Amino acid sequence: MEGMKILLVDDEEEFVKTLSERIEIRGLKADVALSGEQALKAMDENLPDVIVLDLKMPGMDGMEILRRTKKAHPEIQVVMLTGHGSEKDENEARRLGVFEYLHKPVDLESLLRTVTNAYKNKFKSSMVAVSFA
Amino acid sequence: MNKCTNKEVAFFGKITAGITHEMKNVLAIIRESSGLMGDIISISPEAIVKHQEKIQNSMVRIKDQIERGIGLTDRLNKFAHSTDETLSKIDLREAIEQLVTLAQRFARLKHVVLKTMTPDHEGPPVTLVTRHVQLQMALFASLECCFTVLSAGGEINVGIRKLEGKNVVNVVCKGDLPGQSEFVRNISESENWPALQEIAACLEGSAKLDETAHGIVLSFPDEIRR
Repeated sequence: MEGMKILLVDDEEEFVKTLSERIEIRGLKADVALSGEQALKAMDENLPDVIVLDLKMPGMDGMEILRRTKKAHPEIQVVMLTGHGSEKDENEARRLGVFEYLHKPVDLESLLRTVTNAYKNKFKSSMVAVSFA
Repeated sequence: MNKCTNKEVAFFGKITAGITHEMKNVLAIIRESSGLMGDIISISPEAIVKHQEKIQNSMVRIKDQIERGIGLTDRLNKFAHSTDETLSKIDLREAIEQLVTLAQRFARLKHVVLKTMTPDHEGPPVTLVTRHVQLQMALFASLECCFTVLSAGGEINVGIRKLEGKNVVNVVCKGDLPGQSEFVRNISESENWPALQEIAACLEGSAKLDETAHGIVLSFPDEIRR
């Protein structure tokens, strides 16, 4: 999965920065955004393959970022990682096209398996789009 | 289940969901910090020396998050015990401090700073005999009313004083605020305003708008009739 670009979005700075360090120890690259606004800015500069996104954040929340991302870049895969356990939110995220909806705290290996599957899905989706073109 | 009980259940659900969400973040940080230490240790004995600073930082983070978790569970525990008795003797200052702490996450999500005007433990206790659960509901409803008029960067200050034998709580909004008439209209049209009126009446008190100060004035008696 070399070359896979991951964007981690969470307002819990200590969580997201430590997660990024652990991912980088495994030879992957993970950028960090601490708010929805920062995430959109980061996407303008460098499109990620997979976004790991918190749901409840000050300002623009995860659901709005998911909505905007899927509208502008449907190929980007989004994994929601949240401490918010509402079934209503999970259903809404799935309706908007989230790849997976995970609950905090999550085991890193399990998160990376999901992120890798999301990355593979990105190319599978692109191939389907090309074959229909 | 009657209408009043439904509202109490909804209030408890909202507060506990907010606090447990914070607890999940605490646990997530502890998990990742201990995981990072484990990652470094498993690389090689040399890596432990090379990444000593990261290990030390992780240990500090874990210690800080344990303290944060203890604080949260302590508040949540006190909150849960507020249902022990229908009527109880409470320290209003402590009740405000408790509610302000519980509501921090809701303020943060609105980009609003929430604080008490009198720092913790300052001033004499203000004791009243009242319905603790409803008192917390009234305080929280007044904060929710303020959230509707405040924009990002705003501030809410909560303070208490004795006035003509009544225990008065001032909830004051600061920041980029609408004019006085718009402030009054926005708050009185917010969905939380009728609920606040209802709870204040249930506590034999009142909730009024103070357009000059851009705030809400809650008033409670020393003791409510049983």
